[in-house]
Amino acid sequence: MNISLDVRNVSLIYPLRTKFSLAPKDHRVGGRDKRINGQGRLRFVKALNDVSFSLSSGDRLGLIGNNGAGKTTLLKVLYGIYPPSHGTIAAQGRIDALFNINLGFRREATGRRNIELRGLINGWTQSEVDARMEEIVAFSELEDFIDMPIKAYSQGMAARLAFSVATSLKPEILLMDEWIGAGDPPFQEKSRQRMRELANRAGIVVLASHNHKLLRDTCNKIMMLDKGSVLHFFPDIDAFEKHSC
Amino acid sequence: MVSTIFVGLVDLVSGVRLWPVWTALAREDIDDQHRRTTLGPVWLTINYLMFAGTFIFVIHPSNTEQGSIYAPYAAIGLMIWFYLMDNINQAVTLFAREESYIKGTRLPLSVYIMRLGMQALIRAVYTLTGCLAIVLISGFFPTFGWLWSVLAILVILATIPAAIILLAMLGTFFPDSQFIISNLMRVGMFLTPIFWIYTPGEGGARGMLYYWNPFTYYINLVREPILSGAPHISDAMTCIAISAFAWILALYLLGRLRHEVVFAL
Repeated sequence: MNISLDVRNVSLIYPLRTKFSLAPKDHRVGGRDKRINGQGRLRFVKALNDVSFSLSSGDRLGLIGNNGAGKTTLLKVLYGIYPPSHGTIAAQGRIDALFNINLGFRREATGRRNIELRGLINGWTQSEVDARMEEIVAFSELEDFIDMPIKAYSQGMAARLAFSVATSLKPEILLMDEWIGAGDPPFQEKSRQRMRELANRAGIVVLASHNHKLLRDTCNKIMMLDKGSVLHFFPDIDAFEKHSC
Repeated sequence: MVSTIFVGLVDLVSGVRLWPVWTALAREDIDDQHRRTTLGPVWLTINYLMFAGTFIFVIHPSNTEQGSIYAPYAAIGLMIWFYLMDNINQAVTLFAREESYIKGTRLPLSVYIMRLGMQALIRAVYTLTGCLAIVLISGFFPTFGWLWSVLAILVILATIPAAIILLAMLGTFFPDSQFIISNLMRVGMFLTPIFWIYTPGEGGARGMLYYWNPFTYYINLVREPILSGAPHISDAMTCIAISAFAWILALYLLGRLRHEVVFAL
């Protein structure tokens, strides 16, 4: 199958809904940002503004921009968590995402049970969970602890387990909010290798990061966002390098 | 409106199809609550028996006619009430509790609805055990008429997801409702014919509380076949009408607001 991701004029208007409440008014929603429009209970922020790009198999798009530029929001729109207010997204290929790798982990459950739960949440069938179980356990190097509750794990062990499950994907289109890693130095090297393999296996990768060196090494296209709009789209790394100099 | 209801139905069906997810999460929720205890979820049965037993002992009427059915009457009413209260109280804060999933995964909203329904159902099975014990000890033994009660329980089970959708939407867009609902449910137990028996023809406040309270009909629907052998047709019709209306409204709201929930959390 030809894998592609075509994003046309996507905008996201994020309603800053003031819920009907009897509590004292919340003044934390400021009005100084020019992207915040509307008044009273009908305030909204234009989180993405007319974003367009097209990716085909083999493309690795890096998203850069300051905090609040819209990188994570764009990833969540691409993944289908936020519906775009305008524009269209046409994806050929299954989209997987690595956002919060600790999501759904339960301290009281064993490592094995957590793998199972996380797999089900990812949309795997029970037989897919069973098929991947031993590989995940082996990668995490937690064979001796896998049937213990994860509350007994050290932070590093829990992170290794979360990383191992989250990256046990066969993605066609992979969305990542920052490059992830885990564990002690030897495991970190192993996780870097795993991430490289994951990115190589995926038909398309969209990676949001502040690490420009990582993006140069990983991506062949860069999109710079600012306040929800595309500031620059670099069709290759050379163009990005020239702009950065 | 029909197309919006259809959109809601699509979300519901896609969530129901993910039953391995919500059943696993619900089982884990129950296990987490009791994991460190020796008796585990059996505490739910014990809690129910202590509560029901105390009320039956204290409020048991001296009137022989009412006294002879009072223990199963109160036990069944209380079991159904606990199940409804469990769902209703938790439904109001459902989407707020599931915020990290809603903002981090693409699972349909109905997965969370079914997860809550399943949790409450597992808990209800433990209270049902206690309830059956009281009914049997009171000298009421299974008859074919009890099958009506089974059918009535199925009607309630089929209505619960609709109630969860309605209340979850209410709680998401009107957060104060969680306190209003929990207060209403607290007093509702005493305003619903669970411990008190309505005498036909009785007017006044009790009459109004009996006839204008939707919970009355669902509780009666389960209770009557066990106590008198058959349900009242009027109770059955009222329950079916309320359930049908709840489902239409719930599916409409799910179809209309399912993409809005993520922005409201």
